[in-house]
Amino acid sequence: MKLFLKPSLAFLFTASVFMTSCSNDEDPIPTNEEELITTLQLTMVPQGGGATVTATYRDLDGDGGQAPTVTGATLAANKTYDVTVKVMDESKNPAEDITEEVEEEGDEHQFFYVVSNGLNLSVAYNDTDSNNRPVGIHTRAITTSASTGNLQVILKHQPNSKSATSTINTGETDAEVSFLITIQ
Amino acid sequence: MRKYVNYLVLLLLCIGLASARVLAQNGPILTGTDAPADADCGITLSGKVTDHEDRSPLIGATVVLEGTPHTSITDANGHYHFHDLCPGTYRLVVSYIGYNPERLEKSVRSPEVINFRLHPDALQLHSVEVRIAKQREQIPQATGHLNGQELRQTHGQSLAQSLERMTGVTSIQTGPSIAKPVIHGMHSSRVLVMNNGVRHEAQQWGSEHAPEIDPFVASELTVVKGAAGVRYGADAIGGVILVEPKPLRDSAGTSAELNLVGVSHNRQGVVSGMVESNPAGIPSLSWRLQGTLKKAGNSKTPDYYLANTGYQEQNFSAAAGWTRQKFGVDAFFSRFDTKLGVFSASHVGNLTDIRNALQRERPEPEAAFTYDIGVPYQNVTHDLMRLHGFYRTGPASRLLFTYARQYNQREEYDAHGDQSTPGLRFEITTHSSEAVWEHPLIWNLKGSIGATYQYQFNRYEGRFFVPFYQSHTGGLFWIENWEKGKWHVEAGLRYDYRYLQAKLFRKDTPERTGQSELDNELLTPTHRFQNLSGTLGAIYHFGPHLDLNLNASTAWRSPTTSELYSNGIHHGTGTYEYGNANLGVERAYNFMATLAYVQNKRLNGEISVYHNYIDNYIYQEPDTVPTLTIRGAFLTARQKQTNATFTGMDVSASYQLTDHLLFATKASLVRAYNRSADEYLIWIPTDRYENSLRYSVERLGAQGVFAQNFLQISGLAVPRQRHIPDNYLARDYAMPPAGYFLLNAEAGTTLQLGKHQIEVGLIGRNLLNTAYRDYLNRFRYYADEIGRSITLRVSIPLNF
Repeated sequence: MKLFLKPSLAFLFTASVFMTSCSNDEDPIPTNEEELITTLQLTMVPQGGGATVTATYRDLDGDGGQAPTVTGATLAANKTYDVTVKVMDESKNPAEDITEEVEEEGDEHQFFYVVSNGLNLSVAYNDTDSNNRPVGIHTRAITTSASTGNLQVILKHQPNSKSATSTINTGETDAEVSFLITIQ
Repeated sequence: MRKYVNYLVLLLLCIGLASARVLAQNGPILTGTDAPADADCGITLSGKVTDHEDRSPLIGATVVLEGTPHTSITDANGHYHFHDLCPGTYRLVVSYIGYNPERLEKSVRSPEVINFRLHPDALQLHSVEVRIAKQREQIPQATGHLNGQELRQTHGQSLAQSLERMTGVTSIQTGPSIAKPVIHGMHSSRVLVMNNGVRHEAQQWGSEHAPEIDPFVASELTVVKGAAGVRYGADAIGGVILVEPKPLRDSAGTSAELNLVGVSHNRQGVVSGMVESNPAGIPSLSWRLQGTLKKAGNSKTPDYYLANTGYQEQNFSAAAGWTRQKFGVDAFFSRFDTKLGVFSASHVGNLTDIRNALQRERPEPEAAFTYDIGVPYQNVTHDLMRLHGFYRTGPASRLLFTYARQYNQREEYDAHGDQSTPGLRFEITTHSSEAVWEHPLIWNLKGSIGATYQYQFNRYEGRFFVPFYQSHTGGLFWIENWEKGKWHVEAGLRYDYRYLQAKLFRKDTPERTGQSELDNELLTPTHRFQNLSGTLGAIYHFGPHLDLNLNASTAWRSPTTSELYSNGIHHGTGTYEYGNANLGVERAYNFMATLAYVQNKRLNGEISVYHNYIDNYIYQEPDTVPTLTIRGAFLTARQKQTNATFTGMDVSASYQLTDHLLFATKASLVRAYNRSADEYLIWIPTDRYENSLRYSVERLGAQGVFAQNFLQISGLAVPRQRHIPDNYLARDYAMPPAGYFLLNAEAGTTLQLGKHQIEVGLIGRNLLNTAYRDYLNRFRYYADEIGRSITLRVSIPLNF
């Protein structure tokens, strides 16, 4: 057919068929690059001696999938505890301690501790960032009489908004977990 | 109360304008070229100009009454009109590029209809692009067009915002810089965008990804409303948007155009330039270069700036063509490159954060004006390379080939972690080719038959959102048009086959186990979809002024990869989204009727009604159980299928009050219903009503140095969306926002400086500085819409 002898036409047709029919067999590479918080742990050391107590929230496969495991804590009445919070990515090997990053960027992060009604516990900040604002990695918890309730721990990311007026409602939530606490 | 005050202001402005008109008429500035004729002379002379061979209407043909000042240009249907003629003998001269002119002397006593069939001029046949342009029209579906001065008035706006000028078209927004077109209540993967004849392929599944197209490339924007799957490919359930550049120059010479735009609310500056040529020495060659630079800072609402909403664009395109009498080839390349800030206050975590944001009077953090773009932001690049050729197989028949490659890259930089590399990077590569034969006129049938093939590959780096995938899509279509007397019938059929293979690790699916060996296993699920699309439509011409268009079509859409496999938290909306790998295709049955009353002296209008029935409509439904994570609770959303209907009406009408004053009204209504659950669907556009009053004067000033002058004020009223399901707050964080009224104004003139015509336009949006929120803005939880904004634009054509 004379039509298809036209060089320009033949070129176009060949090019389109050739260039379209290539296919790509590239496979994705498994990565663990993304920042993931799998674990939040409270370590509570009683002042004046006594057993160290921990409370842990652990969700190794991240959001969705398997349900997280949560372990609460039992504290002694009328005692003061030095509390340290640790956030980690335990999906990596070795586990990554994200608390260091929070500490470095202390001027835009803050931990908040919310005690439910009926739980006789008070939590006070025991550290500051470069602007003398609390960070909440180190706190002091004081128990009074025997009771049961929830302690909620919230980590807020407050870039350019952490200030004397910023609150628990400021910024974006990086972590929000709740522990069952028994004081006896 | 506020609403009534707004109406009062509009009314006062109308009165003010009307009195200004009276003064202008009595004043000496007006030249009386189109002064109203005597009451006795009310004769109308009209008719249609068509191609003698294929009987297609000739658009833009000139009809002159020789010896009189009367000239008429044929419209989209090839019709011309002369009103208010006195009895007498007239000499009609009809001319059109590429055709032999025709002359006719006619004694006119009463209204007459005179049709012309022009013969192509064999010597001028190379003006091929003109012949392509005339064949575009005349489809039985409702369409809207934006071109010329009206298109230029939208310069500085995004593609979707420009399209909002047409009835039935709105946009879904994600903050002030991202807008996506919505046709008859449908958007994203249900609306196809054809950029320069190529199906635009990018991350169009998400509502927060605007089409990566520079509107300055287009000389015409067309919206085909309703299912148009046969010609443009399956998926076009909601409609098609055609972005068409001006054809390359076909007359010898070189010309250029410079466009400058400034916008007040975000201090945006735009420079866009174009140069094109058809060298006198090489008449077969034509080329064009075009580029746009855009920079905008933080947008301002009536009461505050929106932090990190600046953006910048650097776009360019190049085209070259070689056209001979028998064949032609052309190549086109364009790059769209943008950096977009993501509104800081929308960067929230869990449900509590969203509730906090809803409680706030003002978004936080507070912001001042800046052009700086901080984290989070997006970098998006889209390249399009297109080769196109035609070979003439007869006087009215051609063979067309198109090959295109698109490369879309999106980088999302997060506020967290390492900010030097993107948290997520997508790359989509698409190859598409098409071959179409436009056959000659046989038994009064004009049509085309074609084949299309597309290959697409998606990859990503960083956090999971949509998996690696590759797809092959092939299609065959056949469309015929039959025209006789007052009837024009169109029928078409299409078959499509789609093969899709996704590649993802188990850890990125809901079946994740937490054990690394199992989770890192690569899964390669495949899907095959095939189906038919069809269309049947008719146009009945009651006369040169009244057309009835009827159309029934069916189209189908296969689920997108994100609907099948997305799995993760959608930032900004506080939602954990699960895909559904078991989704099947959705099918639409679209019925539409349009009555158009056009080219009348005073009253013109169009009314279009439609009913779209969608079987297995894919939609996202919130689950009652939130997803609990270490970051707190997130709303759970799953992809489901149901039977849905979209029913609506678009109305536009105008009345020429006097020679200079035009009143126009537009209304768009749509109701979307979930038939299986027996309730309304959410996130459907609210009704829109717009009225405008336009005062125009053809010539002003000494020697009429100011041409095409106009001043227009308009009011847009959008009520609260009331057509919503009963337990609304179980699916959305806030009820639909209150209705609003916006006052807008436009003015324009064309300055005649020597042989140059400089066009100047001034556009004022939201003049009353109304604080409002729009239901279809995904960021309506966080902030108000843009406040008062003034745009000044200048268009300078240069001829060498």
